[in-house]
Amino acid sequence: MTTPGTSVRPTGFSVLRAGRGSFLLHRRATLVATALGAVLAVTVIAYLCVGESFVSPAQVVRVLAGQPSPDEFVVGTLRMPRLAVGLLAGAAFGLAGAFVQTVARNPLASPDVIGVTHGAGAATVAMMTFGVTAHTTLPYVAILGGMAAATLVYVFAWRRGLLAGRFVLIGIGISVALGSLTHLFVTKGDYLVAQQARVWLTGSLNGRGYDQAVPLALLMLVLIPALLWAARAQRTMSFDDDTATALGVRLGRVRLGLIALGVVLASVATGAAGPVDFVALLAPQIARRLTRTAQIPLVGSALTGALIMALADLLARKLFSPIELPVGVLTAAVGAPYLMWLIVRTRSRSGGAA
Amino acid sequence: MTGNRLRAEGLVLTYDNRTVVDGLDLEIPDGRVTVIIGPNACGKSTLLRALGRLLKPRRGTVLLDGAELSRIPTKQVAQKIGLLPQTPVPPEGITVSELVTRGRQPHHKWWQQWTEADEKAVSEAMERTATGDLADRPVDELSGGQRQRAWIAMALAQDTDLLLLDEPTTYLDIAHQVEVLDLVRQLNRERGRTVVAVLHDLNQAARYADHLIAMKTGRIVAQGPPSDVITADLVHEVFGLTSVVVPDPVTGSPLVVPGAPWQHG
Repeated sequence: MTTPGTSVRPTGFSVLRAGRGSFLLHRRATLVATALGAVLAVTVIAYLCVGESFVSPAQVVRVLAGQPSPDEFVVGTLRMPRLAVGLLAGAAFGLAGAFVQTVARNPLASPDVIGVTHGAGAATVAMMTFGVTAHTTLPYVAILGGMAAATLVYVFAWRRGLLAGRFVLIGIGISVALGSLTHLFVTKGDYLVAQQARVWLTGSLNGRGYDQAVPLALLMLVLIPALLWAARAQRTMSFDDDTATALGVRLGRVRLGLIALGVVLASVATGAAGPVDFVALLAPQIARRLTRTAQIPLVGSALTGALIMALADLLARKLFSPIELPVGVLTAAVGAPYLMWLIVRTRSRSGGAA
Repeated sequence: MTGNRLRAEGLVLTYDNRTVVDGLDLEIPDGRVTVIIGPNACGKSTLLRALGRLLKPRRGTVLLDGAELSRIPTKQVAQKIGLLPQTPVPPEGITVSELVTRGRQPHHKWWQQWTEADEKAVSEAMERTATGDLADRPVDELSGGQRQRAWIAMALAQDTDLLLLDEPTTYLDIAHQVEVLDLVRQLNRERGRTVVAVLHDLNQAARYADHLIAMKTGRIVAQGPPSDVITADLVHEVFGLTSVVVPDPVTGSPLVVPGAPWQHG
């Protein structure tokens, strides 16, 4: 019956030792991350090849390697900046989704649910109607709007602690209110502004460049220590509250930290690329299905988010060329059916309670 | 009896504004198996939650080694008190061996996730609970008894001197109930671990407890060795049930046999 000596380490993990340190590495998750990285690299090259004029992959690689090439302008100046925004925003959305879904313990949750997207939307559209249209200011407006909305949700949801269920419900309520506010601005505003607002609200990478990419990249660099903390903290949140507490987790603090990270990432990504639908919802779930880990994998979520954005924008640029679609249309086209499938599946498994 | 590690003084426990336990003093004897019994909604699980800092007392204190439990960092508490909630929820898709490993979490530093002590505690916990064969299986797919053994293994891997169990035998058939309770007592006897368990079954409580606490409407009605506590009068007072108490033919501990209603006439 008993098999002493076997299973000296958790199934599927390798132990990595370095000096006195020892780390558990999930083998499948590592493999998946490597594979996603490879697929992403191929996608990046394809993205840079395709456009109004086709550039050969060899030339793209030359430009990426910093060598002189006749296509340097098209690849390096026209396509690269836009792709950089897409990749960074996608990764940020993926991570934000992972954090929000972890805290809400619900695969249907995403930054939309906690008010970030609609807060950013309402603030941006409001500023547009008041005549502020500069690409340099609007991202910051979106960030502030998103954070303000999330704070509001947090304050209302707090009652001697934070319960996941109440948090989600209040988030949905505030999102709906902010959504109506946005529509009010769009309908009341000037025709041109309304047009511009609509495009922004769908989420588009058109005209985005290093102005948006650089702040986003810097922020993600600054957040690396926080992300390392989150990677460990987030594991412990996959238990119920009582079990997690019994294992010594400071639930309130961990929840607040993870949500704050999610809100910052989602707000900044929304500021850069607009509220691109469903990326934050899709990426963590796809990544988890691939890695089969007991929690949402962070590296996988970030890579999947970046991959979705790059692929979606590639299609958005090429599908009805020369007409360019906003990238949000593409992600919604894929995301909406997936969301429905997820709801149906959750219902049949647990009677809708999550 | 002073000097016991886990104590409660003037404990008032409430859910929202409903008072469940009102002014309760309690000492958990070290190195013994203490079982809390009582009718539904008497506050026994609530009391256990408070002892395990899952519920913050409205008034009064729980003391661990003389310090107020709510002031000790929760990770430090987790190194001393292991706790198994009534219906723990495993992370989706987690394997048994990973679940047991999670029990080591209170002892981890971020740069030391798998030490020799971890390896020893995990393999020993799995050996004791006979979960070695289940190591690679997802917890979601286990039967009730196997799952409960996996959870207990996790709590054991935590390697604490005190172990709190909230109805560890619920949903188990009688053979698995006995298996779990035997395991608990074995841990106590061989390791001197202090165990506090909430149990529904009076006869199992009487059989496995060194120290029995009988509760009713948030108060302690009686406590002591099972042979002193379990009497027909007490069963009537606490549960409102007429019964005959006879010695258990196997262990000699008190055995409660419900009285037939027609005898009342």
